[in-house]
Amino acid sequence: MAARGSAKRGAGAGGARGSEPQEEPPPPLQAVLVADSFNRRFFPISKDRPRALLPMANVAMIDYTLEFLTATGVEETFVFCCWKSAEIKEHLQRSKWCRHTSPNTVRFVTSDLYRSLGDVLRDVDAKSLVRSDFILVTGDVVSNLNVSRALEEHKLRRKMEKNVSVMTMIFKESSPGHHARCKEDDIVIAMDSATNRVLHYQRTQGLKRFRFPMSLFQNSIENVEVRHDLLDCHISICSPQVSSAHQRILNSIGVASLILGNQIHMHVTTEEYGAHICNLLMYEAVCSDIIRRWVYPLTPEMNFTDDKNQSYTHSKHNIYRGVDVSLGHGSMLKENVLIGQGTVIGSNCSIMNSVIGQNCRIGNEVMLDGAFLWDGVHIADNVQIQHSVICDEVEVKEKVKLKPHCVLSSQVVVGPDITLSEGTVISLHPPDEEEEDDDQFSDDSGVNKEESKVKLKGTSISGSMLLGRPAMLSEEESESDSDLSMGSEEPDSRAASPQLDDIKVFQNEVLGTLQRGEEENISCDNLVLEINSLKYAYNISLSEMMQVLSKVILEFPLQQLDANLDSQNYFSALLPLLKNWTPLFKNYIKRSSDHLNALFAIEEFFLEHDSLCTSIAKVLMTFYQLEILEEDVILNWFSLRDTSDKGKQLRKNQRLQKFIQWLEEAEEESSDGDQD
Amino acid sequence: MPGAAERGSELSEQIEAFVSRLRGGGQRPRSEDTARQTLSLLRKIIAHGRWGWAGELMDLIRTEGQRMTAAQPSETTVGNMVRRVLKVIREEYGRLHGRSEESDQQDSLHKLLTSGGLSEDFSTPYPSLRANVIEAINELLIELEGTTDNIAMQALEHIHSNEVIMTIGYSRTVEAFLKEAARKRKFQVIVAECAPFCQGHEMAVRLSKENIETTVMSDAAIFAVMSRVNKVIIGTKTILANGALIAVSGTHTLALAAKHHSTPLIVCAPMFKLSPQFPNEEDSFHKFVSPQEVLPFTEGEILAKTNVHCPVFDYVPPELITLFISNIGGNAPSYIYRLMSELYHPDDYEL
Repeated sequence: MAARGSAKRGAGAGGARGSEPQEEPPPPLQAVLVADSFNRRFFPISKDRPRALLPMANVAMIDYTLEFLTATGVEETFVFCCWKSAEIKEHLQRSKWCRHTSPNTVRFVTSDLYRSLGDVLRDVDAKSLVRSDFILVTGDVVSNLNVSRALEEHKLRRKMEKNVSVMTMIFKESSPGHHARCKEDDIVIAMDSATNRVLHYQRTQGLKRFRFPMSLFQNSIENVEVRHDLLDCHISICSPQVSSAHQRILNSIGVASLILGNQIHMHVTTEEYGAHICNLLMYEAVCSDIIRRWVYPLTPEMNFTDDKNQSYTHSKHNIYRGVDVSLGHGSMLKENVLIGQGTVIGSNCSIMNSVIGQNCRIGNEVMLDGAFLWDGVHIADNVQIQHSVICDEVEVKEKVKLKPHCVLSSQVVVGPDITLSEGTVISLHPPDEEEEDDDQFSDDSGVNKEESKVKLKGTSISGSMLLGRPAMLSEEESESDSDLSMGSEEPDSRAASPQLDDIKVFQNEVLGTLQRGEEENISCDNLVLEINSLKYAYNISLSEMMQVLSKVILEFPLQQLDANLDSQNYFSALLPLLKNWTPLFKNYIKRSSDHLNALFAIEEFFLEHDSLCTSIAKVLMTFYQLEILEEDVILNWFSLRDTSDKGKQLRKNQRLQKFIQWLEEAEEESSDGDQD
Repeated sequence: MPGAAERGSELSEQIEAFVSRLRGGGQRPRSEDTARQTLSLLRKIIAHGRWGWAGELMDLIRTEGQRMTAAQPSETTVGNMVRRVLKVIREEYGRLHGRSEESDQQDSLHKLLTSGGLSEDFSTPYPSLRANVIEAINELLIELEGTTDNIAMQALEHIHSNEVIMTIGYSRTVEAFLKEAARKRKFQVIVAECAPFCQGHEMAVRLSKENIETTVMSDAAIFAVMSRVNKVIIGTKTILANGALIAVSGTHTLALAAKHHSTPLIVCAPMFKLSPQFPNEEDSFHKFVSPQEVLPFTEGEILAKTNVHCPVFDYVPPELITLFISNIGGNAPSYIYRLMSELYHPDDYEL
């Protein structure tokens, strides 16, 4: 259900290009903005308002992202919306981006069907929206970066290496312990320092030890840098291939895996600011960075959205005041405070490090420290709020105390005279079943239930998930840097055991996909897409992928033949399948190590199924004839000595030896031919 | 007239681009360039805008001017140019209206009293007004081009042989001024580096290329070195109506040190930096940029616990300044009000 305009425009542009092949002006820089995060980190706030519209220093997040794109020279932005798309659309249509003077044309693509970034990228490709390299961001990126240098580097690389590099990720330098470093997004990266190529990307996830594949340090790259001082800005410059062939998926878990033989490069910035607001802690950090002017020129008083209600004056100690703000007698704005238009503050209040939205009413003797109040909030007298988020039209009654990391979602009424413990989340929406439903009701006696529909649910568990810093993480903070163990031989039980399960599940999924493919006659390209996305979802490496795929395909006929194990039948069932799925193999088998992996998988399969041993030669022959496997590699595999007894037996199989012999002869012939 | 509509939208796009450029302001723009860009934009507005008579034109210029100045209040040059253009329109209208030259300046108290508050309504349409105004703006543009040279020409009157000159940061006008003097005289220049942006380094490099004996020192050494200095020559961003300066941060320190040692402080600034505004908190001339240069973002944990500020400008009160050298000659700070009234019409002080 895409917006009609954008689809048409894409087609029109294609037509125009076709008619004038000689002229080649540099194509306008395009961007894909995904205004949905496909996760529930901001639940329950995001239930009422899509994440892209959450106010950061009284300006919607998506406006920061669009301003960043425009400032960096983007001329056409495709905004992909899913959740609450109508609201996002309405917001943008009212904003300056949709005025005719805007240098950045914003187009909407909406669909309720997007479930991940992969879906979006697939759609970008299907509608052929992008024509050349484009910038991919999510709608919650705040940045004052200028990507033009990264873009140039990216283009140069693509010219030099014939489109091997599919994307350039942008990182910001910031040392461990920085407040804008998100715990979830803490990463360790291995890079080739000469070419800036990303070799390995791993989330730390609070681990103290990290495993790096040995191949990283064994291949020809001279200098491998392992860095833990980088922040993923979630801004990337992608080539059009990203969406079509490979879809590297910055999915909700955000694992950036290396794509099938293609390369990802990186660009590190030190001076400029870039952050991705992935949870409420980051929300707090980035908000305070905006107030402290780190994102200059995107500061509140610049009024970059050009909205009349958003004009602020900036005075000492980073105090920003909107129009018609009234401050009572004896009230102090200490530092880093932003007050929106029309807000009235009573007397003897003390406010610091806070953001207050428009048209709020704040009583007397209120203490706000690190509070983020949205629009229309009513706060009565003697309230104390620390490091909390208070959404639209919340009413906080007298003598309420909010301990750090509380969230009051829209239209909640709290009080009077109650203390909310740390990490309380109160919402009108009941937490869904998927959420851990440990409802620790804050006792209702203290809560004023004027409106019957107001349900107060203080799930402190989800609260700490959203906001709290798990103690374990903070303990490790200081040590994590020094504890980088590279290529350590010690088995890491924590990392290893779930991985095995993953592979099993992945194997089943692949099997299911192929079965469906067989039944519904789905084309190979689509199968590749599906398997790719599965691969990313389970974070499967390429070699594992190869083994699983070979195994699954070889086992495939077994299920159809039931127990009727006969090598003749087996092979006749396998042959058409192999023929059908040749492109599938070809997509994954590219380097010689892939060939070898595939062969090992085949070997393993035949070792497990003794009765079928005889058909191994035929299978290999087919693989060879379909040009999936190369003769060198097969010979290489055959001559490997360090195999088990069973393996040796397998190699003694007559037919196999005949096949190998034939191969050797064929090779000699061809080399003879070369000499002539 | 599709052409007109197209031009109209093109014009508004240009204005939009200019405003967003001002707002971005990441790379410090030269005031002279800003002035020239503002003038050419205003010329386009006059040439292609829809207006019938002078009053309408002035409203148009005023609204656009307000938008441009609001985008970056610290770029006072923009507002100054808008005021100059308004003044030009007044003059041209007056000339066409058949008013004598003498009456348009500051009226005498007696005249003000007798005129009975009759203000001009600028409502008579004159077909030749457009061409006349554009012509006058072209003259303004030509005037702009010569400003730096005009200031530099006066260098020999102020810099003598074997003097020690101190300056701070980088100013194109001061650079030209010193280079001009160096063609005839030998003297020594001490440059305060002007942390955290250290524009002083660039200044020193440029000066030493001209074989001027140049020394760079840290800002902290300003007071210590001042006793050896014969003259302090600086540039500025803006001259305010009371003769005060909005100049690069560190200038106030320099001016105070100069005052303490009774060293003359000379400010080189072209007339277009004269701004009929008075210093006060609300107008926010000051500009705070990202604290990155003061304490890098990579610092880590400490950033959550500290407040870091990075102001770009200093306010230098007029009593610390000895002399202004502008493209029309040298003036004392107390005379600035007079220059101001020659440049701008009193009604335009507030845009």
